[in-house]
Amino acid sequence: MNIKEPIIGLNNISFSYEIKPILMNIDLSVFSGEFIGIIGPNGSGKTTLLKLMSGILKPQRGQISLFNKDITMIPRKKLAKIISVVPQESYITYNYKVKEVVFMGRIPFIKQWQGETVSDYLISRNAMEKTNSLCHAEKGIHQLSGGEVQRVYIARALAQSPQILMLDEFASHLDLNYKHEMIRILKGTLQREVKCIVSVFHDLNLASFCADRLILLNEGKIEISGTPQEVINNENIKKVYKSRAHIIQHPELAIPQVIM
Amino acid sequence: MKYLTENNKNIYGYPNWRYKAFFVLIFGFISILIVGFIALNFGAISIQPKNILSILWHHKTDDSLGLIIWELRIPRLIMAMLAGMTLAGVGGAFQGILRNPLADPYILGVSAGAALGACTGIALQYITGLYLANLLPVLALIGSFISILMVYLFSRKKSHFPMTDLLLAGVAVNFFFSALITLLLAVSNRELHSMLFWLMGDLSNASWQKISIVFLPVFIGSFLLIYASLELNAMALGEEEALHLGIQTEKLRLKIFLIGSIMIAVVVSFTGLIGFVGLVIPHISRLLVGPDHRIMLPVSALIGAAFLILCDTIARTIIAPTEIPIGAITAIIGVPLFIHLLKRRNENNEY
Repeated sequence: MNIKEPIIGLNNISFSYEIKPILMNIDLSVFSGEFIGIIGPNGSGKTTLLKLMSGILKPQRGQISLFNKDITMIPRKKLAKIISVVPQESYITYNYKVKEVVFMGRIPFIKQWQGETVSDYLISRNAMEKTNSLCHAEKGIHQLSGGEVQRVYIARALAQSPQILMLDEFASHLDLNYKHEMIRILKGTLQREVKCIVSVFHDLNLASFCADRLILLNEGKIEISGTPQEVINNENIKKVYKSRAHIIQHPELAIPQVIM
Repeated sequence: MKYLTENNKNIYGYPNWRYKAFFVLIFGFISILIVGFIALNFGAISIQPKNILSILWHHKTDDSLGLIIWELRIPRLIMAMLAGMTLAGVGGAFQGILRNPLADPYILGVSAGAALGACTGIALQYITGLYLANLLPVLALIGSFISILMVYLFSRKKSHFPMTDLLLAGVAVNFFFSALITLLLAVSNRELHSMLFWLMGDLSNASWQKISIVFLPVFIGSFLLIYASLELNAMALGEEEALHLGIQTEKLRLKIFLIGSIMIAVVVSFTGLIGFVGLVIPHISRLLVGPDHRIMLPVSALIGAAFLILCDTIARTIIAPTEIPIGAITAIIGVPLFIHLLKRRNENNEY
């Protein structure tokens, strides 16, 4: 496979809810091995962009391609075997056991009546091991803390054995130790099974810490896209967020950090 | 792959749900047979268990005792079983698809439509003086189908079926038909008793002919609901998560709604509105076997069946020969049982 071929390609995408335009003329390519961070102020269209890329929403104009195929031509079930999404936060209605929740990631692969196979078990178990949630396997999901639940969601997404992993503000309300752990887990999967990761970030410092490339959205348009160094600077932050901020360099890593 | 051994299945904590389901179902069937046999022993006329066995074994219908067993008690037993299965199974499926633990089979307005149909029939019977008792199920069925159609049409947006709109349409239709029933009750005098009886559930009219009508929709419907149980599991994660798992959520919702409503409509038309079972039995079975619909739905159906057999036996014997509406018994027995299980869950912190 040609390494230069994009995995996800967005070609001149426009999207609006009713008549309110949310995204305009978005062009974006995601390549193999990339960790893409989508940033921007509230209401700039970050989550909408993620929903378009994961096939939940359909653009009014433009085309989204996945491995060079039009995403609208791919059936849901097949899409579920390629992309998995970690939600920002969601409530699981009934108190399923953790292992049952993780196992739901295998649903696209299970044939009705045949039920799950040993390899499905192994993949789920593996996903739980990777996210340090195997110790919770027998517990009810409602008995876990916020950070533990987030890890279970990631395990669920990994159990789907995706080629593309998408996340929506995955660590915004986690403690520092959990954030580090999550980043370690995600980077680990990127090197092995997952081809690329796209994540929406609320927290600019986390985005700068995680992503190889940042997409800065401003009122439905891409303001700038590039490495954290290129994107996060005084001029861009002032223009997009319309507020003053100080940019400093991380003491050990060559990445910018924003302080108030 | 050294993990691929039988022993390891337990180590990574996945007992195969099919084994679990198999044992649970066998256990359930046996308990229903036992409960059913015990129920046959009770009634206005007492018959020795020994005699009942011989009546069952030889299929005796030539004397009065045989007729009581074969034409009165057994049809009633089977009707109770079918109604319990349907109410509890559909209740569980609705709670899953609507992601709402407060959902019951009547939440989408089927019951009120059926009740209006039946009560209209009862009123007509007294006004015109004609004998319409056999027509009541037909009228109830027509009423419930009208309500299903109304909910469907009110909640449809182009090709969308938003969940809140579906629920709101159900509530609205329910209120509207209930208001009409209240009007009917207000102007009724002599027929009030039979209307109230119908509204609280009544199995006294069960017959083999009625069972033959109810049987097929109930079994086909239950099969289809259980077939969708894996998708129902995914719905617990949330609408979007289910979409990401490749499930066409709106189609699934419409499918479950239609199948469930038709099953309920058919059953309710013959039994009247039996409350409580559809709301609480799914919770009880979730407390017992966990929320996985592949096991929870069949278990709900079995517990529902056994529970209604029990309640109906009490309803027809406790102050025999007077009958109590079964809907009153279901709640009186069920609520303490449910509270007990709920308290036990809170203490053990499971499910």
